[in-house]
Amino acid sequence: MEKVLDKKSFPQWVKKLSSYTVYAPVQEDEVWNYEVITNPEQVNLDFPNTVLSPKKIIFPQREVYLEFSASNEDGLEVKEVLPEEEPSVIFGVRPCDARALTLTDKVFGGDFEDIYYWKRRNQVALVGLACHTPPSPNCFCLSVDGSPFSKEGLDVLMSDLGSKYFVEAFSKKGEQLINPAKTLFKPPTEKDKKELDKNRTEAKKRISRQIQNIKKIPPKLKGMFDSSLWDEESMSCLRCGICTYLCPTCHCFDINDEIFSSSPLSGKRIRTWDNCQFPDFTMHSSGHNPRQGKASRLRQRIMHKFQYFVERYKNYQCTGCGRCISRCPVGIDIIEVLDKVSSYEG
Amino acid sequence: MAEEFEPKIVAFLCKWCSSAGSDLAGVSRMEYPPNVVPIQVMCSGSVSPLYVLSAFNKGADGVLVSGCHPGDCHYIKGNFYARRRIALVKRLLDFIGLEPQRFQMSWVSAAEGTKYTQIIKDFVQELKPLGPQTKLRRDL
Amino acid sequence: MVNLEDLKKEAKTVLEEGKVKYIIGYEKSANGLMPVPGFIKSPEEVEKLIWTPACVYNLTKFLVDEKRRKSREKKPDERPVGLVVKGCDSRALVVLLQEKFINRDDVFIIGVSCEETGVIDEKKLIKKLKGKKAEKIEFDEKDNFIVTTQEGKVKIAASEVLAERCLECKANSPVIYDVLLGEKAKRSVDNPFQSLEKIESLPERERWKFWKEQLSKCIRCYACRSVCPMCYCDECVADTINFAVTADTTAEEKAQKIKWLEKSPVKSENFVYHLVRAIHLAGRCIDCGECERVCPLDIPIRFLNKKLEKDAKELFDYEAGFDPEQPSLVSSFKDEDPEDFIR
Repeated sequence: MEKVLDKKSFPQWVKKLSSYTVYAPVQEDEVWNYEVITNPEQVNLDFPNTVLSPKKIIFPQREVYLEFSASNEDGLEVKEVLPEEEPSVIFGVRPCDARALTLTDKVFGGDFEDIYYWKRRNQVALVGLACHTPPSPNCFCLSVDGSPFSKEGLDVLMSDLGSKYFVEAFSKKGEQLINPAKTLFKPPTEKDKKELDKNRTEAKKRISRQIQNIKKIPPKLKGMFDSSLWDEESMSCLRCGICTYLCPTCHCFDINDEIFSSSPLSGKRIRTWDNCQFPDFTMHSSGHNPRQGKASRLRQRIMHKFQYFVERYKNYQCTGCGRCISRCPVGIDIIEVLDKVSSYEG
Repeated sequence: MAEEFEPKIVAFLCKWCSSAGSDLAGVSRMEYPPNVVPIQVMCSGSVSPLYVLSAFNKGADGVLVSGCHPGDCHYIKGNFYARRRIALVKRLLDFIGLEPQRFQMSWVSAAEGTKYTQIIKDFVQELKPLGPQTKLRRDL
Repeated sequence: MVNLEDLKKEAKTVLEEGKVKYIIGYEKSANGLMPVPGFIKSPEEVEKLIWTPACVYNLTKFLVDEKRRKSREKKPDERPVGLVVKGCDSRALVVLLQEKFINRDDVFIIGVSCEETGVIDEKKLIKKLKGKKAEKIEFDEKDNFIVTTQEGKVKIAASEVLAERCLECKANSPVIYDVLLGEKAKRSVDNPFQSLEKIESLPERERWKFWKEQLSKCIRCYACRSVCPMCYCDECVADTINFAVTADTTAEEKAQKIKWLEKSPVKSENFVYHLVRAIHLAGRCIDCGECERVCPLDIPIRFLNKKLEKDAKELFDYEAGFDPEQPSLVSSFKDEDPEDFIR
């Protein structure tokens, strides 16, 4: 389904979606993040890039699995907790972040379906916003099979045409978003389509960063487990968790029993994001940690994204959003690291 | 009628003075409010700020750190270290907006059973109008 | 103004003479404005060094790594490491020396003076340039920076884009060094606690509201901890495994171990983390402002440290990072320390 929507009518569209929980990028100081919107006028799609991707809504940093309490004499009373199933829609999803969800879909789907993930995933509709200009100077989606107007994972894609949006729906979920506000949308003219094509050609050109010879990287990495490159490249790494926590595709988690009261016992079993850059990640109960230094942690991040994941799922586990580059406190640049992998000899 | 709020106080009492002072209050059958959970520590100087934060985190409405009077410390100077450290913690907690009445320090010697009961009585009276401490309490 | 060529010359000399193992300095990055920490191992590599107003990092942090690396080596190279420090960074070094975490012989200090200015806040610069991408930034005469964008050069008053910490700086030039580049100048700072006082003056309820909102945002990436040169503990209360486990540690001991805070990034646990972090830096933080710079959520955590810095000065007349011989704030006392708050 292809339509155009006047920019002025956009808040009215959002208003029609009152049966949904609506998320959109919200600015606080200099930071943009997806938050629940209560006032449709509040939605502003003129944003660079959010700090966290929509991953934080579908795979929240903290998820309650179950609650337990020693309320009776027989022992523990355990209650399963599942996410509430409420239809929601996220506006302003960048194509790279939507693609990232198609990757976490693979991880949380397949032989074993993670119900916590899917309860939310199945209920959410993703309305994308094509990147006419790259939202970050470190965008490199073209290098990892993406594009600034990729529709992968999206239900709807909106593209800016100046005074209006070109709106495409790719799924039933997407059409259901448009149907209640049908009158606001008009069929696109030939001129609109031409302009869209022109914008898209230009958008691609505006992405300045790219990974050289990406195709060669996964096989190359295979022989580089013991390479000294990791020591060199990780010299400045601080072992913080920014790169992985901000990554739209990283999905490692930890499960802990968190105690609210020890007498009488009550608490919750909780899943939180975990982070391969932290010192206690991969720590064995013996106290031994097979990933001792930071070199092995940087290696893990790169290997997971560009070798292990490729072997298993035939995709890079990276969609080129550039967050890890922009936000790294010491300027470790995944593109540079991969370029060095490409040219590594020895 | 709603029951009156009874604050819960976690008191870190040094073994040599304040804890003995509270014992004296006990064996002398002095009356004071039963709102205190006493925790005996070897010295007020051994009270890590983490203990204080953890007490608030686990639901204390007030926290008291009590040690020997200056000059009386069993370890010569532990209470002087405590004095500095607690002053800093107290100011920091005030800075983040915790009611300053919720965190107190006192000098109570082994002979000051009466002073101990008075400190607790006053503390409870000051905490009652504040209601339960929810700011730093675990919200898991 | 510090002449980059002088810096390179000094670096080259010590490397050629074999006086240092390697030099930790600021290196030009392939990607735009911000440099990266550089590890210069040979005289030829000295050309990579730069000195610009974007040299924000406190490189002292890397001495922690160096010490760990060295302790693992069987026959370590005993020569010192060359380290480029700004005024604030040099104060961090003083604290590490005071705490005997490093020895004076382990480091060859190349001090660079910020003179009348300081380093930029990247976010301020981006805002100021309104969409234009800065490719280069240089010191200029007096209080100006020259920024090169795709559309040419612009002159910007330093005060507009300086990091907050620089506006309240107590040491524009290094307090300890083996060689010093640039002038020992000092920009006058009326009140080093100016920004803090805005929060202090709020009523209690507003202060709580402020911190509740700010700290609730925290995702516990621990970048503030990781970037801090004083955060060198082998074990941290914030980690789920926060004690030394050996082959002899029993399952029971592990189970009994106190968990001071939970991994959930909720308000209460975030407060425990941030307050512990602040307290642990009392009398040690030298306000290099790195914790705040790296925070991806822009939480103004520097104020927590700043508050303790102010209290240490007010209550105990203590200032960190000037004298490696002075006893540390919390392991010393004076008879006349205030006790009016004690019952």
